[in-house]
Amino acid sequence: MTVPVWAWIIVLPLITSPLVYFIGHLGKSRGIFAQRTALLALAATWVAFVLAAQDLQLNGISRLMVGSISLKFDGLSLLLAMIAMVLGSFVVVFSGHYLANEDGQEKYYAMLVAMIGVMIGLGCTNDLFNLWIWFEAMAVTSYLLVAFYKDLPTSLEAGIKYLVQSAAGSVLVLLAIGLVVAETGVLNLDEIRQTAESSPALMAAGILFVIGYGVKTALVPLHTWLPDAHSQAPSGISAMLSGIVIEAGLIALLRSLSALSGVTTFWGPLLMGFGILNMVVGNLMALGQAQVKRMLAYSSLVHVGYMLIGLGIAFSMSDVIGAQGGFFHMFTHGLMKGLAFLAAGSMLYTLHISMGDHRPLLFDDLAGAAKRYPWAALTLSIALFSLAGLPPLAGFMSKWQIFVAGVDTHNGWIIAVVAFAALNSVFSLAYYAPLVNAVYRCEPSAIVLSGKRLPAVMKLPLMLMALGIIAIGIWPSLMNWLTEPAGTALLASLGG
Amino acid sequence: MNFSPVNICLLGVTGLVAVGFYGLLTTRNLIKVVIMLQILVKATVLGLITAGNKSGQLYLTQSMAITVIVADTIVAVIGMAFAIQIRRQVGTLDTNDLSSLRG
Amino acid sequence: MAALLVTLTIGLPWIGALLVLLSGDERPKLQHTIASIISVAAGISAVVLLWFTSDQPVLSIPMGSAFGVFTFVPDALGVLLAVIANVVGSLAVIFSIDYMKGNEQLGRYYALVMFFIGAMAGLGISGSLLLMFLFWEITAFCSYALISFHNDDPKAVAAGIKALIITQLGGIGLLVGALIINSFVGSYQINAFLAEAESLPFNVLVLLAFCFLAAAIAKSAQVPLHTWLPDAMEAPTPVSALIHAATMVNAGVYLVARFFPAFEIVPGWTTSVLVVGMISALLGALMALVAADLKRALAYSTISQLGYMFFAVGVGAVFASQFHLLSHAIFKALLFLCAGAVIPAVGTRNMRQMGGLRKSMPFVFTVFVIGSLALVGLPIANGFFSKELILEEGFIHGPMWAYIGMLLGVGLTALYVSRMVFMVFYGQSHGEKPIHDGLLWMRVSLSALAIGVFTTWLLAGVLSDLMAQTLPFHGIHAIGTFELAKEIVLAPATWVSLAVIALGIGVWILREPLAGIKNLLRPVARIIEKGLGFEQLNQGIINGTKNLSAALHLTQTGQLNWNILGIVGMLSVLFALLFIGV
Repeated sequence: MTVPVWAWIIVLPLITSPLVYFIGHLGKSRGIFAQRTALLALAATWVAFVLAAQDLQLNGISRLMVGSISLKFDGLSLLLAMIAMVLGSFVVVFSGHYLANEDGQEKYYAMLVAMIGVMIGLGCTNDLFNLWIWFEAMAVTSYLLVAFYKDLPTSLEAGIKYLVQSAAGSVLVLLAIGLVVAETGVLNLDEIRQTAESSPALMAAGILFVIGYGVKTALVPLHTWLPDAHSQAPSGISAMLSGIVIEAGLIALLRSLSALSGVTTFWGPLLMGFGILNMVVGNLMALGQAQVKRMLAYSSLVHVGYMLIGLGIAFSMSDVIGAQGGFFHMFTHGLMKGLAFLAAGSMLYTLHISMGDHRPLLFDDLAGAAKRYPWAALTLSIALFSLAGLPPLAGFMSKWQIFVAGVDTHNGWIIAVVAFAALNSVFSLAYYAPLVNAVYRCEPSAIVLSGKRLPAVMKLPLMLMALGIIAIGIWPSLMNWLTEPAGTALLASLGG
Repeated sequence: MNFSPVNICLLGVTGLVAVGFYGLLTTRNLIKVVIMLQILVKATVLGLITAGNKSGQLYLTQSMAITVIVADTIVAVIGMAFAIQIRRQVGTLDTNDLSSLRG
Repeated sequence: MAALLVTLTIGLPWIGALLVLLSGDERPKLQHTIASIISVAAGISAVVLLWFTSDQPVLSIPMGSAFGVFTFVPDALGVLLAVIANVVGSLAVIFSIDYMKGNEQLGRYYALVMFFIGAMAGLGISGSLLLMFLFWEITAFCSYALISFHNDDPKAVAAGIKALIITQLGGIGLLVGALIINSFVGSYQINAFLAEAESLPFNVLVLLAFCFLAAAIAKSAQVPLHTWLPDAMEAPTPVSALIHAATMVNAGVYLVARFFPAFEIVPGWTTSVLVVGMISALLGALMALVAADLKRALAYSTISQLGYMFFAVGVGAVFASQFHLLSHAIFKALLFLCAGAVIPAVGTRNMRQMGGLRKSMPFVFTVFVIGSLALVGLPIANGFFSKELILEEGFIHGPMWAYIGMLLGVGLTALYVSRMVFMVFYGQSHGEKPIHDGLLWMRVSLSALAIGVFTTWLLAGVLSDLMAQTLPFHGIHAIGTFELAKEIVLAPATWVSLAVIALGIGVWILREPLAGIKNLLRPVARIIEKGLGFEQLNQGIINGTKNLSAALHLTQTGQLNWNILGIVGMLSVLFALLFIGV
């Protein structure tokens, strides 16, 4: 049996993860060893990724049977792999200095690399139960990463809440799988779609999927773990959580739900309903936050809301632009929120962490930061304005694509939803803009004046990501190679 | 309602899920919280077996059940480890005392 | 050639912005030089573009599926906007050399101003709705960033965010409109839409018409979305002159004028535009009459004058509205820049603390009076011709009550301008002696604008000719400048309004004998001074949202049991929905 090249982007991180741990254990400066090994592992994975992406474009979707489990590499897998790889690489580079004073760095990098591999695997599976396994593996790695500061009470508090809620959600997913197996007797997603008929049990299964995976995706009101976890984790992990982990949950949800697409037409409106709820609650919660990272965490809720609207449109109207827009936003959100968390993290590092202090980063701390840290301030502003959807930045373009899909339906309700989403986008300026204003004050706060220098290595990911956001904003079709296959893949799995 | 094995199992699943979630909603002790999670997992294991029985795929669901047990043991272990660490660092196992992050 | 000029007109300021930013705040001299040279070059390229107007796209960039084709169509309507942006922009930059001397973060200031200039030119020239929306939003962003340029001042920050949010709220109208047009017409091209407008379903057209009107009202600070403009006066004064008087606020007028041919047939739309214009003209003038802050008074006057332009579009006089847009851009920029010379010289914005500056600042006084002549509408300033043209068209094509309302506005304008000139330049000196009478570069740009006040009306003929040639859907007729001037001077409406102006000035001169009436009106004045309740409405909405948000924050208790309740609760809700039978 020949192993397709895409299998390597799953396998490589998974087999190198223990290697990172062991190499990290050698020598005195464990962190540096582990980080370099992780970088090497990711570089190797990048090679495999490029080959896999080319293969997908040339030869289309490829499948692989491992025992009775079916895996496939389609547009959706490519998208998830791309976001995970991009964010993961930046985070590894960024974390070098950020964690320099911490214990257990080798575990951090090992877990991070493993998490990337697991998420790519999650995107590639075509088996309902296998999907759950990847999902659970991702959850396990993320629990440990969230509670990385294992001696800090707040970090532990966030970790245990995250664990209990996720575990409760994953139980619901298992119940749903049980219902599906009871009704159809198969686990392969394509086969489920062919055999599934409308029945109360499968409706219930769909709802259980929504709630179960919804915990990880941070659907309101299942989101309560998110602000704690995102604000307490090391900034790199916050970026990963917000930029890719909750999206991985969303993709797991979409994969499962699309298998049940023949059961009812309820899923599309349901997703859009959650989208609206997420936007409203996320915005109102983000308003009036004093901590930067907590504000960013709540803003993730809002952005999941936008994605849900695009994907909900795709579900209810079999509309490829909606799906494409939703996935485009998933990618740009990964970049923007990743950048926002890393930029905030770089400030947190220079102002608090490098002093051995684990206080949260407050809005007031950043007053006048532009003077001493012009690049961090500029990239943070770009990320925030892109999140708020100001053109010509990436966030605007992906939202626009979702809106185009919504209005193209010529459905009055959906057009109203689009207008409402735009309204929320404007509303979000009320909490992004003051932060930018504070950063650009002329009189720096005392904390900024006593802050450490920002190492160039930390600036590098910030600048690259900011450049990406601007480039995509000016030339949105740059990402079509990624979003188009993803949209088509979702529609194909909807049977459209 | 007849007491066929499937129905009894379904009753068991419902009961265990109810107990588990009731426990999660009311208990404030972290150890008990982890136990409640395990009760929920046992419910799903029972549910999977029942599902296999109903659809005639028992061999499949049995292997799934074993996988679930393994996977959730890992979660339980991490949960317990958190509980221990919390007891050490915060000095309590009461979840209501673990609510410094709010708003 | 045209493609190159379009690129230069938009691109030069943007390149300039980048260069200024890169040259670093340690070299302020270099920054001043780069900014002024490049903005003047951009101004020239915009003017040259006047010779290359066309109704066809000169530059098209395909952007891929959902984003259509970005096109640049330099028709007369758009190029006019670009010329105003780049020329007034370059004068504002030149003025800034003296005004911003010694300020911190010069790089950010110039970069934003130049970024704005390019975007404003692009807004006019773009032929694709999406592209136009992009530029529309960039101008809003620059406006915000420049209003709150002095970030250390919480008032400036609040004003900036307020301006951004209100204009963006209106922007939603443009966004939804653009999306609907794309979905029904199949492209974002404005001309494609104008050609097919009549074949669209009627209710869609109605929706579009009012979406665009909402966007225009917010952008042009028309009642009831005008509250951001007076607050925006926290910006450095050259910015107020450029963005909040001469260019960005015109975008709304531009929008209604641009889409006038499509929405003309929508019942009630033209009347709505007309009524919005009239109410803004009157309320703006009233508020200008009681304002004590020089810049705020000018801002209210801008609202009022933009109301005249809306009114013109409402009665179908698209050319008159654009003609007044040009005149207003020149004379209001002049007045604002005068304020920018006066305010730092005397150290206050409050007109009650000024007075008697006629002697100590003779140069500024002269140019201010020239600007005032145009604002009031006295011959032979440009404001005279354009305003009289609007009134004449209103008299012929509009309803009588609206015409009378606008006439009242003319009288009020005369009154508040008299008051302003008097409070600042005549009477007793109340404050400290001014430290200068306009510095060198200030004088350069003030003189240029003052010359413009007397000359830009000569362009009316050229403008109407270009518009007739390049706007296939607007039905504008070419008319020679002197023909037009003759028509205006001979029209009875002109003489009526000159009489009203005389009356307005007369009321000011006779204010002592009329003091009794003034006292009677004092309670009314107090209400007007507080912004006629619109400000309270804004505040109420903000407070309501804040309270809602604070209440919602309580739901994040941080307790595990409660969090689990969220999961169980939502699950129950969905199952309940299932049982009800969705």
